[in-house]
Amino acid sequence: MLFLPNFVPDVFVSMYLPAIYAGLIVGFIGSMAIALRREEIHILILTDLIGLAMILVVSAVGTDLAEALILPGLVVELAETLAISEILISREMHKIEQNPRKNLSKSSSLFPVSFALDMEIMTTAPNFIALVLIAYGIFLTGFTGGAVAGGGIVLYMLSKKARGMPVLIIDGIAGVSGIAWCLWIIGFVLFFLTPSLWLLSLFLAACGLLLKVASKVGLIGLLMREDIDKE
Amino acid sequence: MINVQLFFYFGIILAIVGSLATAWGPGVKDPIVRTFNTEVASIGVCLVLLCYNHVLALLTLVATTVIITLILFRAIIRLEEMGADV
Repeated sequence: MLFLPNFVPDVFVSMYLPAIYAGLIVGFIGSMAIALRREEIHILILTDLIGLAMILVVSAVGTDLAEALILPGLVVELAETLAISEILISREMHKIEQNPRKNLSKSSSLFPVSFALDMEIMTTAPNFIALVLIAYGIFLTGFTGGAVAGGGIVLYMLSKKARGMPVLIIDGIAGVSGIAWCLWIIGFVLFFLTPSLWLLSLFLAACGLLLKVASKVGLIGLLMREDIDKE
Repeated sequence: MINVQLFFYFGIILAIVGSLATAWGPGVKDPIVRTFNTEVASIGVCLVLLCYNHVLALLTLVATTVIITLILFRAIIRLEEMGADV
């Protein structure tokens, strides 16, 4: 028997089975291709397909639950790809260093040629645009607000030429991240202990998530600047 | 009136065809071609999410697809510069 909450529209119910089957087919194709290849980088690219199959299957639920499940899935997939690609690169580096006949060329950045970002708009505009983006992000709060505010921080950090962030500031960003976690957990606990304070706990969680996402996206901007401005 | 079902089935077909192209399509010995082919499947999934009204999921999918493509390109370029067999 099929348990169906009555707030799911009929259209989504009729789209349930096709979406599930499509997700299974895509996942099957992806895993067959992974089983057939031997090179690690191809396997890493094909893992992307498995992630898409996951999204198809989860989205078939069709309610807000699906949205809440897709977001962490995507973020975890992103972190996984980043970590595995780093492991792959360092392993290949070790393999080539062991081989005396090949000599390792010096490591390169994201862009193979030196890429100097020298545009007029990068020096004049970012102060204002970053301010507007951060203000709007704080107004939005939550995950979206964190992404918007983080975009502002990325823009500011990319365009300003000051190289080499002091260690104190990086430690500060990490500390802000910890405080954000604390806010989020306090909000979560309050939500269960005293449900009458739901507005307070909602805002605690939303502001914690805002700080968390914004500081993390800002760190990405820091890393990208170190990579791009390399002469 | 836009027909939701049409977009939904088109998205599903695009996702399946894109994943087939990623797995066994032409020129996939080159990892860059393979990375581009995953974009086709990703657009199909975007259409499906659009039909389900999952706005936040759609935005996050677009953002993470861009970042994952950048990460993969960086890995491919580094591996090829080091002379590893890709």
